[in-house]
Amino acid sequence: MIFLDLELKDTPGELLKALEPISSAKGNIISVIHMREERTEDGRLPVKVVIDKIDDEELSSIIDKLESIDVIVAKINEKRRKLDLDVVIIGHVVDTDVRDTIDRINEIGLVLDLDLSMPSPNVESSAKMRIVVDVEKIDELYEEFDIISKEKDLLFVKSC
Amino acid sequence: MCEKSLNKSNDFKELKVILVGLGVIGKGVLKVIDAKNIDLFKKYGFKISVVAACDSSGATVNENGINPLSIIKTKEETGKIVNHEFGVQKGILEVIESVNADVVIEVTPTNIETGEPAKSYTLKAFESKKHVVSANKGALAVAYSELMNSAEKNDVMFRYEASVGGAMPVINLARESLAGNNIKNIKGILNGTTNYILTKMEKEGLDFNTILKEAQELGIAETNPHQDVSGLDTAAKMVILANTLLGKDCTIKDVKLEGITRITPEALKMANKSGTTIKLIGEVSNKKLEVCPKLIPIDHPMNVKGSLNVAMFDTDLAKDVVVVGRGAGDIETSSAILSDLIFIGNSKKCND
Repeated sequence: MIFLDLELKDTPGELLKALEPISSAKGNIISVIHMREERTEDGRLPVKVVIDKIDDEELSSIIDKLESIDVIVAKINEKRRKLDLDVVIIGHVVDTDVRDTIDRINEIGLVLDLDLSMPSPNVESSAKMRIVVDVEKIDELYEEFDIISKEKDLLFVKSC
Repeated sequence: MCEKSLNKSNDFKELKVILVGLGVIGKGVLKVIDAKNIDLFKKYGFKISVVAACDSSGATVNENGINPLSIIKTKEETGKIVNHEFGVQKGILEVIESVNADVVIEVTPTNIETGEPAKSYTLKAFESKKHVVSANKGALAVAYSELMNSAEKNDVMFRYEASVGGAMPVINLARESLAGNNIKNIKGILNGTTNYILTKMEKEGLDFNTILKEAQELGIAETNPHQDVSGLDTAAKMVILANTLLGKDCTIKDVKLEGITRITPEALKMANKSGTTIKLIGEVSNKKLEVCPKLIPIDHPMNVKGSLNVAMFDTDLAKDVVVVGRGAGDIETSSAILSDLIFIGNSKKCND
């Protein structure tokens, strides 16, 4: 059996949408536990799906399809694949091309949420990002933070 | 404690110490020795006898022991220890070398760039076959290997609990209470000034410079706060922990460093919105040696307020161990120094 921990947006039809790539790949769904009373930090709904064992290639094609429709596959067989992390950025966040900053982070992970605070034009602003990233890509993401930090004189306050 | 010390059968009754440095910590050590000596004798069968105390003016020396409070009195009233009834115009190195003593307590002002003069005093003590108890992180952060090699070569003990986290047991906790554990990672808040500033900024929504000024007026931050707010002070302590507890051979130059001067009240508000706060965290592991502001969850055990310090050990057997305490203060720091002196006294009892 394979245990998948998914995180879905809380909108109607999301569960059905998430199960479709599994059934169309002929994955036999054994159980679906929809944990409505729980929420991830960014408000998503965790769903546990248990399927019959399939080969690795089929599994990775299912995961690709799920991720293409904005379903986060947080764990496979209890092994964490994705991490949600917060980062606070201090500096001239907007003036140093915030779009470019996000695009570069998106090449490694996915910026889910952006919150900006600009007290006045002369003062440094602050931004908070929630980023979902593959566990094995964390170091790469932190290296990119360092590069952007030097280039744009931004301070990245990372999670401990 | 060894059996010998319990039955108090040997001749060892006095741990003779030379105190080098008569600033806030030096005076704190003297107060603590005076207050605790009767208890020490009852509990451990020996007392601490101050046979010399030095400042930059000279020294007071009496191998039969000097009343600790009289040293404080002379220093406070005249500013120079050479005016004490046993005062002599001798340099510190000469006193360390020539006076008969078991331990040198090294509490001169710290210098993170050169480690001097503490480093020379410590080396001289080792060469004169004296144990050293130090609160001086500068010397340890720039010349750890050199100091350890010299202590080993001269077959003397070097104890420095007070150099990291003040009163909070960190080094001895890890080396003794957690002995046998493999320490994978240590992180913590090891600078009270930065913690005070961030805690206040978060609570009052005021900017860094305003809170820093207030902290200076209250005597919490120093007139020159650069070492604290730049993270250098924390970095020196992380180097000591890395070398002592994780077997590294690094210096302060190897630390990836970022201070708290750029943290804004808006950034703290942003962090709060997602249930976190910002603290200046030092971290050391096999892959990492860094000091930088980090987000920690509000309900995390490391979210300690005000000027408190905290250290968290991730170990293979005991898993997570967290210790919280006061990282500065004369009596608090002297508590750590006293524990090192007792350790040396007990070892001496066993060996004599």
